[in-house]
Amino acid sequence: MRQFISKQNLISWLRQQMEARQLVAPTQVDDLILFRRIDRVDDVILQFQNTATSPKEWLFPKTETLFHVERKDGKAELIPAEIDGETVIFGLRPCDARGITMLDLPYLADPADTLYRQHRQKTVLVGLSCLTACPECFCESMGSGPEDTAALDIMFTEVRDGYLVQAITEKGRSLMPQALLSPAETVKPPAPETAPVPSEGITAKMRQAFDGPYWGRVADRCIHCNVCAYVCPTCYCFDVRDYTNKGSVERVRSWESCQSPGFTKIAGGHDPRANKGARMRQRFSHKLLYFPEQFGPLHCVGCGRCVRACPVNIDIREIMQDVQRMGAPK
Amino acid sequence: MAIDFEPRIVGFLCNWCSYAGADMAGTARICYPSNIRVIRVPCSARIDPLLVVKAFQLGADGVLVAGCHPGDCHYTEGNYYSRRRFALLYPFLEYLGIEKGRLRLEWVSASEGRKFSHVVSSFTEGLVSLGPREKVPAEGALP
Amino acid sequence: MSQTAQIRQAARELLQGKAVECVIGYERGTDGVNARPFFAYEAAEADRLIFDQTCTHDLAKYLLNRKGKSTAIVVKPCDSRAINLLLNESQIQRDKLHIIGVVCPGVVERRWGTPGAKQLNACQVCQQHTPVVYDTLVGQPVSEPAVADPYPDVAGMEAKPADERRTFWEEQFSRCLRCYACRQACPGCYCPECFAERLDPLWVGIRIAPGENEVWNTMRAFHLAGRCIGCYQCEQVCPVNIRLSLLNRKLEKDVLGMFHFQAGMDAESPPPFSTYQKDEKLGIGE
Repeated sequence: MRQFISKQNLISWLRQQMEARQLVAPTQVDDLILFRRIDRVDDVILQFQNTATSPKEWLFPKTETLFHVERKDGKAELIPAEIDGETVIFGLRPCDARGITMLDLPYLADPADTLYRQHRQKTVLVGLSCLTACPECFCESMGSGPEDTAALDIMFTEVRDGYLVQAITEKGRSLMPQALLSPAETVKPPAPETAPVPSEGITAKMRQAFDGPYWGRVADRCIHCNVCAYVCPTCYCFDVRDYTNKGSVERVRSWESCQSPGFTKIAGGHDPRANKGARMRQRFSHKLLYFPEQFGPLHCVGCGRCVRACPVNIDIREIMQDVQRMGAPK
Repeated sequence: MAIDFEPRIVGFLCNWCSYAGADMAGTARICYPSNIRVIRVPCSARIDPLLVVKAFQLGADGVLVAGCHPGDCHYTEGNYYSRRRFALLYPFLEYLGIEKGRLRLEWVSASEGRKFSHVVSSFTEGLVSLGPREKVPAEGALP
Repeated sequence: MSQTAQIRQAARELLQGKAVECVIGYERGTDGVNARPFFAYEAAEADRLIFDQTCTHDLAKYLLNRKGKSTAIVVKPCDSRAINLLLNESQIQRDKLHIIGVVCPGVVERRWGTPGAKQLNACQVCQQHTPVVYDTLVGQPVSEPAVADPYPDVAGMEAKPADERRTFWEEQFSRCLRCYACRQACPGCYCPECFAERLDPLWVGIRIAPGENEVWNTMRAFHLAGRCIGCYQCEQVCPVNIRLSLLNRKLEKDVLGMFHFQAGMDAESPPPFSTYQKDEKLGIGE
């Protein structure tokens, strides 16, 4: 049975969460809406389309220490990093939550990434379903949708004076005190429709499109920044570096992107993907060909962030259309 | 104000004049505060502003750049270039909120042991009255 | 004839006559509102070219990928200064270049999907509406307005107390994702190996964290001191809206005040950091 929570009760629930654990939610930062740690419940924004950057940084941080090595009694001791404290992420759009299932595929597959697994275990994901569709989003074509509950523990849907509550997992149910809820009397509002993109059969088409001048032409205008990968809820590449300080060593990983010019540079200075077209093809092949071949789903949830954020309008929807239209190679 | 505050100064000294000037201070038994950590460089023009910014990032309270007097550069014109560079870096760092008194460019010749001592002393005093830099944000912290 | 029509005609003639291999200009993007860069290789593609107030990109950056190849390029006045900068620094060859200069009334802030309503800050105080270098001029040259205070934004920042400035920049830099879009979009940033990506010595580590972000943003701006031509690309492309122009314009203001120099106005004047005057008084070390 669907349940209802009044807006006032939702706010007091958020306050409880904030006091009991770390609360992360959309908040206004200058003219942007970003997921930030919340210290005052009033800062939480309930009405928004979607955040400028994806919430993935709360499970796969921009920068994270993997382990320390300390010298002790003439021996080197490896101290793995631990994630302490629990986090509640409130206000996830269904596409972004679906994006977390994409991170799970490479990071939780055996052998699991221990830090990611800890983040995942210690985080509660609370969604907010979409009542309007952003003009650039295409989640329904990518296997998600405005009411998708993948990865979520609790889902809220805004109705008059409050929210419909759907506790999806055991973790979600245990966090949602019945005292705050009442039986739902309003019906669920209709989900918005998103603009379709031709994702059907794209994987096979991508294989055919591997050679040819197309990627070079698209890459002509690419400036090879990392914006698309850094705003993306599914991109998961990183770089690793060791920091040394007076005999102790810290191994750190930070986001990296296949679009950055030195990404594939190897010892000796050779770069197998030095050419711009090859880098461009790599991005879309990974999303639409390699990832589905390895894990199943397309590596895109249709949130549309890269479409909006790309400085030179490299638009994955247009690329999919172009690739679909391409004939078989001679 | 913390009376015990001992500022940490990174000093970039040109090999031909200012480093020799610091040496001169030593041989002439002229005292100066031990707050300065000296790094010897070939010429004041060697000091990329990046070195200064990096020193501040790693927690320096002040940065001193010292070279030959204009006209005396061992490489003829290096210090003329540094003069332009630091003339622009001063107001820029101030604009970013790093107080003016934390960066200093001085001309100290090989014979000016006394001047070197004076520069380091007055710089240190200035930094003591400015106080420690605000805590540099912890690296790796979540946003 | 509209500017778009004039650009199309010039491009068509250049491509038909094989005077150039490629014309770099603007076409309409997928949101139907904003312009995006476009590379025309065939005369038939010339009809995709456009020019209007959404043509914000500085296309001069792309010339760095086309060294030694004959290219025509559509430039606004600020972008034309970028061409002078690159010529001055021996990065591109003038004889391989056909410059289609556009008289520009100013462009608007890029907002995905909606026609930008606000003119860029830089355009509001622009004193260069006619390109400084061109082979073909599109539009009628206009008399330049006298702008009484070209740096109101910088002056506003300078007037704040030091701790307020510090807090402001700390917050701005803490947002930085180090996606390097500012660098990649900048026509003045073309080092084969950026100091931010050098491994040895490791000046800026890979940590996407406040301290290292600050070193990156400070030095990116400073490397453009006396070189920034004010095209505003860095700020336009930033995905987290860091006010990068406030850094670049501060340096621009001081360079103008101290050395009476503006980058890219011609291709010959030595940039301020590669020259000096023996007796100049700059207020330091004196």
